[in-house]
Amino acid sequence: MTLTLRKYMLAAASVLAFAATTPALAATELTVQRFFGACDAEFGTNTDASKAVGECGIITSLINKFNADNPDVHVSVTTVEWPGYDQLTAQFAAGDPPDVVTVHHSVLGDYQSRGLLMPLDDLLNSVGISPSDFTDASLSGVTKDGQIYGLPIDNWTMLFHINMDLFKKAELVNADGTPKLPTSVNELMAQAKQFKEKTGKPYFVQNLANEVALYTRNLYTYLFQQDSDFFADPKQVKLNTPEAKKVLEMYKAIYDNDYTTKDMDYAASINAFLAGEGGVHLNGTWVIGDYNASSETAGTALNAGGYAVYPYPQLFPGKKAQYADGHSWAVSQKDRTPEEAAAIGKFLKFFNDNDFEWSRTGHLPAVKAVLESENFKALPHRDTIAAVATLGTPLPSTVQRQFAIQDIIGQEMNAAITGQKQIDAALADMESRINELLANI
Amino acid sequence: MAEAALPGSNSSAAAGARKAVQDLNAPLWRNVLFVSPYLFFFVTLLVVPLFWGIWLSLHKADAFGTGRFVGLDNYFRLFRDKIFLQVVGNTFYFVLLTVPALAVIGLLLALALNRNTRTAAALRAVYFASSVLSVTIVTLIWRTVFIGNFGLLATVYGWFGATAPAFLSDPTLAMIGIAIATVWWCIGLPMMLFLSALQQVPREIYEAASLDNASRWRTLWHITLPSIRRTFVLVIIIEIVLQFQLFGQAWLMTKGGPNNASKPIVLYIYEATFIKWDLGLGAAASEILFILIMIAALAQYFISRRKGEEG
Repeated sequence: MTLTLRKYMLAAASVLAFAATTPALAATELTVQRFFGACDAEFGTNTDASKAVGECGIITSLINKFNADNPDVHVSVTTVEWPGYDQLTAQFAAGDPPDVVTVHHSVLGDYQSRGLLMPLDDLLNSVGISPSDFTDASLSGVTKDGQIYGLPIDNWTMLFHINMDLFKKAELVNADGTPKLPTSVNELMAQAKQFKEKTGKPYFVQNLANEVALYTRNLYTYLFQQDSDFFADPKQVKLNTPEAKKVLEMYKAIYDNDYTTKDMDYAASINAFLAGEGGVHLNGTWVIGDYNASSETAGTALNAGGYAVYPYPQLFPGKKAQYADGHSWAVSQKDRTPEEAAAIGKFLKFFNDNDFEWSRTGHLPAVKAVLESENFKALPHRDTIAAVATLGTPLPSTVQRQFAIQDIIGQEMNAAITGQKQIDAALADMESRINELLANI
Repeated sequence: MAEAALPGSNSSAAAGARKAVQDLNAPLWRNVLFVSPYLFFFVTLLVVPLFWGIWLSLHKADAFGTGRFVGLDNYFRLFRDKIFLQVVGNTFYFVLLTVPALAVIGLLLALALNRNTRTAAALRAVYFASSVLSVTIVTLIWRTVFIGNFGLLATVYGWFGATAPAFLSDPTLAMIGIAIATVWWCIGLPMMLFLSALQQVPREIYEAASLDNASRWRTLWHITLPSIRRTFVLVIIIEIVLQFQLFGQAWLMTKGGPNNASKPIVLYIYEATFIKWDLGLGAAASEILFILIMIAALAQYFISRRKGEEG
């Protein structure tokens, strides 16, 4: 009797142990960390990316689809607040980084230079992805010291998002229905003045509070347009220059003349533009999908007269250019089993194959074939922003700590534009603070 | 006691017992076992990091390894850095804004709610409720109040056709905005400390005062306030130590801006370490903060010791 009982207990224990270990044997666990926001309430169970809108919706749906299509791999996602690098740095320092993580092209070099990222050439090759598949901008963005350190998923830049209803009221529309955009600083000021007089609203919707990125990207763009080679030496910036002064003076005049919204943070600026509080929202490629969806919804401010989107206008007589960067999936450097490496390869291949879905966000695709496809060209507004593929210019990839530099430039520009500091003093401090940072890497 | 008596004979047993009585206060090293779990965590989580931090502050280091020894260079860099001097000033300004407000408002609330009515009990719970919220929720609430154009403040000012003060983006108001949120969040602890002190003031003194026809003001000024003087000092010191460590509110409400106007020391340390990857500099700034807080903590120690001597 006792023997029988013991037999049953052993059998039950074996079944339990088997049941407990079976899922672990079946599915390879992959930890993925990303920004782009959280939207589980709306897209938490959606596996059809074509039905999703915006960065968050599309990436959530794509990962859901990957999990559904690949029962042998389970991707668990950690969503971090943009850009998430403080957390990632701490995770690397603690020896506990995620397997796959979203990293900007401009930041890959920081982690790659410390040997924290895995070169992906062999892994990409093993799943049939060739470097020649990528656009030149994407390939150069993820290539460091001759090796690929991230799967590029897009290139992005900042754009003029335009409320056409207000532009019509401001009589800033050409005969063919396109918006009249400035071709010089003086013209910009004149148009902004006219806009304010006719509509009673500011020309620009900008997020100037709690913000550093917008200021920095604007400065880079208009420095490129003046052929200013401010990072000729990647270890020493030159920003105390007449070119930089012109840009700051322009933005200060916009601020002083109330041609822009003030005191708004990023979320508030999006709400303000969607509510028709201003003519031009300076924001990135990533909101095109959302803004286009809003313009197709009856009763919205963007539905009233339409929504248009254009690259930054060429305001200076130099190279035609504007600042650009890109997103990629990077893989942390650690010992992995062949199954784990294969699972990562599968994940990267899946995103490469679905680059078109991702490009519906508004970003430029990283895959050349998608960029050239009719499907992509048929997406809304891609005709007006197609030029950014050639205009987009990143900082030299040898410049390190680009997000820390962005903080410094943003702080000093904010101080100069809002009148807390003289422009000359802000530029001098900006330059010395960045050089102090770069000298201590 | 039993162990002490074991080795001896009957005649020596009495002496042994006497010896044990004499040694009652002598250290018994096996008692270390009782405190060892605490000591283990105290040493590994506090003492080791403290000395490690000092060691790091003398190196050029990032989060991924200690580099070369640079002596006091990180400290020299700190004192040459205008931003660091600004954040030290900001931190003192924040302490000055919040600590007196917390002490005075906490005292007034305690005086108002020190009675045995249901309303007072309910209000005590209400005023303490904010203290249980996390910093994320607190800053979310206050951002909703302060944010330009769409915030509660902007809406209310809008009714009167006025422009609301920009608590999140005006350099002169940013720290005040953070201080308002902090006082709202932290008011529970000082109020509770004052309430417990008020309830320890002997009833007889008040009875004697009322027999003497003392007015409410005279009672407050000559009985209540002198009786809770020590608690007042305690609240001030606890709050100084706490508010020196401002981080979450500034990070979540203004990110230390505009142009570092609301950046406290802890945020500077965070940025140096995790954004600039300059761990040595961050460690040096931490040591400066440690010294500032230690001065406040020592003051608390000396004041509480004097209380013990007098008591």
